[in-house]
Amino acid sequence: MPSSSFRAGAREGFRSFLPMSVGLIPWAMVTGMAMISTGFTPTQAMGMNLIVFAGTAQLGTLPLIGIGAPLWLIVVTALALNLRFIIFSAAIAEGFRGVDTPRRWFAGHLLTDGVFACCLEKMLKVEDPRWRLGYYLAPSLWSWALWQAFALVGVLAAGSIPKHWSLEFMATIALLVLLVPMAKQRPMLVAAVSSGATAVLLRGMPLRLGLIVAIVVGIVAGFAAEHWHGKRETA
Amino acid sequence: MSGDAALWLSFVLIGLATTLPRASFIVLGGRVRLPSVVQRALRYAPAAALAAIVVPDVLVAGGDFAPLNPKLAGVIAAVAAALLSRNPWLPFIAGMAVLLGLRALAGG
Repeated sequence: MPSSSFRAGAREGFRSFLPMSVGLIPWAMVTGMAMISTGFTPTQAMGMNLIVFAGTAQLGTLPLIGIGAPLWLIVVTALALNLRFIIFSAAIAEGFRGVDTPRRWFAGHLLTDGVFACCLEKMLKVEDPRWRLGYYLAPSLWSWALWQAFALVGVLAAGSIPKHWSLEFMATIALLVLLVPMAKQRPMLVAAVSSGATAVLLRGMPLRLGLIVAIVVGIVAGFAAEHWHGKRETA
Repeated sequence: MSGDAALWLSFVLIGLATTLPRASFIVLGGRVRLPSVVQRALRYAPAAALAAIVVPDVLVAGGDFAPLNPKLAGVIAAVAAALLSRNPWLPFIAGMAVLLGLRALAGG
């Protein structure tokens, strides 16, 4: 029986994540359709969806699987696409103090960009470990359920939704809606602009490594802006 | 190894290549500590990662830098909606309406 503070945390986490979770729906459907168009059977597609549970890694490796690329290249590509999660995992790790190892593995498996961005601040602030675990797991499990359900919709609907509806644009909007409140702080805005510009400049780098370089550039720029900003205020 | 078995093996390996980075520091927890400077710097990771994914998606078309496109107009509408309104659905409605509207105009 979960404790009352776990349930209170779960309620709050779910409520704060619910509006932005709508962005997962087109993303999951697009991924479902892409797996079918790669040539997977519905069973294979949903198998990948259950095992991997990661839109970027799934969409990024599908073209390689499709052309019969060697397994090592597929795995290295997936790792490159997922490197950002090491940064996220390190940033949010403090939020799991007081939580046992099996639950940490479970929480780690469920870590996604959206839940990370939504939950990080309170995960580091709140004292009660049960509240924190509920606050993290409720939106994570909701993401998982939405992801599986709407990937299945995409798998079953593949071919019958007109491409020109550009449903995938809703995923772009969802990521932007996450970014807007963050960018109200000056150093965050500097981080976002530097990272975005770098990603555009380095778009030709193989294995989407430009994405990782851009993230690092953005972090450094944001951190530098914070220092510079602080110095000006104390001077 | 049959093609089907190779495919399932690739799913499992991609799954490991996803779960291990995700779980890394969450599982290691207090045993491995990142210096506080690194931790402060890491606060910028989400904004940087979101921008690195979104910006090329909006400004690059077919590998070329092409900022003036219906996606940019859709994004401006969505950001304006997010700034001006607390309605969580409005950015999606505004962004999609502008994107599809401009494409329809261009096509017609």
